[in-house]
Amino acid sequence: MGDTDRSQTRGIARGGAPSRLRRRLLPYGLLTPGVLWLVLFFVVPMYFMAEMSLRSGVPNTPEGFTFSWQFSNYPDALAGRGEQIVRTFFYAGSATIIALLIAYPLAYAIAIKVNPRWRLPLLFAVIAPFFTTYLIRTVAWETILADDSPIVSILKTLHVIPQDGRLLATSGAVIAGLTYNFLPFMVLPIYASLERIDTSLIEAGKDLYASARQAFLRVTLPLTMPGVVAGVLLTFIPASGDYINAEFLGGANNTMIGNKIQSTYLQESNYPKAAALSFLMMAAVLTVVFIYIRMAGTEAFVGEDEEAE
Amino acid sequence: MSRQRLRWPLTAAAALALAIGVAACGGGDNVGGGASENAPTAQGGPVKGDLTISNWIGYVDPGPNGTIPSFEKASGVNVDYNEDVNDNVVFFNRLKPLLDQGNSGGRSLFVVTDWMAKRMYDLGYLQQLNHDDLKTVFDNILPQLEQSSTDPDRKFSVPWQGGQTGIFVDTSKAPEIRSVSDLFDPKYKGQVTMLTEMRDTVPLVLQSMGINPDDATKDDWLAAIDKLRQARDSGQIRKFTGNEYTEDLTQGNIVAALGWSGDGSLIANKNAEWRRPTDGCDLFFDQAVIPVGAPNTAAALAFLNFAYTPENAAKITDYVQYVTPVNGVRPILEKTDPKVASDPKIFPTEQEIAPCSGDPDPPGSPQDVADVEAAFQEVVAG
Repeated sequence: MGDTDRSQTRGIARGGAPSRLRRRLLPYGLLTPGVLWLVLFFVVPMYFMAEMSLRSGVPNTPEGFTFSWQFSNYPDALAGRGEQIVRTFFYAGSATIIALLIAYPLAYAIAIKVNPRWRLPLLFAVIAPFFTTYLIRTVAWETILADDSPIVSILKTLHVIPQDGRLLATSGAVIAGLTYNFLPFMVLPIYASLERIDTSLIEAGKDLYASARQAFLRVTLPLTMPGVVAGVLLTFIPASGDYINAEFLGGANNTMIGNKIQSTYLQESNYPKAAALSFLMMAAVLTVVFIYIRMAGTEAFVGEDEEAE
Repeated sequence: MSRQRLRWPLTAAAALALAIGVAACGGGDNVGGGASENAPTAQGGPVKGDLTISNWIGYVDPGPNGTIPSFEKASGVNVDYNEDVNDNVVFFNRLKPLLDQGNSGGRSLFVVTDWMAKRMYDLGYLQQLNHDDLKTVFDNILPQLEQSSTDPDRKFSVPWQGGQTGIFVDTSKAPEIRSVSDLFDPKYKGQVTMLTEMRDTVPLVLQSMGINPDDATKDDWLAAIDKLRQARDSGQIRKFTGNEYTEDLTQGNIVAALGWSGDGSLIANKNAEWRRPTDGCDLFFDQAVIPVGAPNTAAALAFLNFAYTPENAAKITDYVQYVTPVNGVRPILEKTDPKVASDPKIFPTEQEIAPCSGDPDPPGSPQDVADVEAAFQEVVAG
């Protein structure tokens, strides 16, 4: 008993050696589960993917694919892909911009304008679609956008789309589907950053003769940039890799890189080419994201410095 | 019936399984795969225990009096019946890491299309069949199915059900469509779909070009694929589909689609009619096979014998509405369900199916097949 007591006291004692050690180890302890998870489910598969992308061989033969530093898999995977890559980023980029234009006013209304009593139900409404699987929701859009659907008839009557036009199996349908599916990922971070704003700052701005517009542009918007940047990344990255929307809502000329990767894996059984294409896609997304973060500024990305301390 | 309904969720699962499988065995080194001549023979013997089967959706009659419970009652075998084959290649790629190690994932029997059965056999993934253990099967099999181009001596495959690939036409919109060539008529721009299964779509296009798929060269295949590419680029082909085309026909999005003869029940559009194209014909058979590493092969063989008695086969045909490989089914159905017995989709005449191709593989070496496959996927997936 006595021993235990003493060691406990020592542990708690300020500046005692074990306490300092423990404090130094604590961050590593907190990091361990996350790091282990990522090593097991990200780093290890990445290694095998990288190794696979440098193999050569013929699909569906007993010999299979053997490792041979086949770097030509990379240019081969890219050959003729230009149009599809541009299309992929165009779809993902458009969906991100439209989602931002919808999400910001929505989050602003929920966080600042509406009666606080309505906040929770409104947030719930934003999240509610998540209770149904992604796939089912996308398939439901097939019905909504079908050629004979009321929506299409109304748009035809209004001459928004031509009489012989359609919505399903077009670029527009894919972009609409992507926007819809990733909208909550845009709303939630923006809401979180809007909700934290001290409204007295906006009032202070107005006291200093800022118009409502100026107060928004100079106070509210800069303060919510971290949310906007997070929302853009959370929308753009998964949208670039998506293939479900293109599969269900797109036509034969609306496929994205994700469709190609899945068909190279599961239809052509050409694992090295598919792995190479996956890496190239990842590199392309990383490049776009890196440029974006550079432009948006790291401060906006990780939050303000004074908050970090 | 619905050959590909649940394809996408399974594709995702398959991709995941593949990634894990690839990681687990260091990138798919071929441990169990090998020369097919060394394939083990499925063992017969006393029938008991558990049996796991993988099949396409809607490919057996369901319900308490269906084939599966009846077999369980008759044999005492406990059957785990899974409808997890939704696409030949996807199913294959999902199982490949296991099969490479001589493991069937607990399955004793599964059903894939004939060309895929041959591919699996050539890779050493299937067991050979001893005909003495399949007496009922070979007593009752249709004479023309005793041999097959993919398995001349029925060494590894037993036909489960067959079907025809043809054209579903919405007769209220384009009753005049009768051939595959008609689908390329600019009149129907953006209102026709074709199948993502290469061995269904390309042979029909080849026939519409006047080429017999069984004699077609690699260049012929590539020419047909190029024709499809042009039709895609011009917007003629709205989409390449699995059996989602049934949905497009139901919604009225298209006037015609390449589709499978047994899928009519999936289309809630009374004007949709299946037609054998005037310029081509495709008859495929899905084959029951026993994979390497299959447990309880005796029960699998007993199940096939059970399904091949004309009475049981008639029950299956009555429900799935595909072409039966079993002799003597039609007389039974003439009594129990005359409508099915007289349906030319289910009981085509010899004459009608004589010119049919059977989901052939492209010719040449595995590299040639891979080239053709890549060219086709280039059209389908961009």
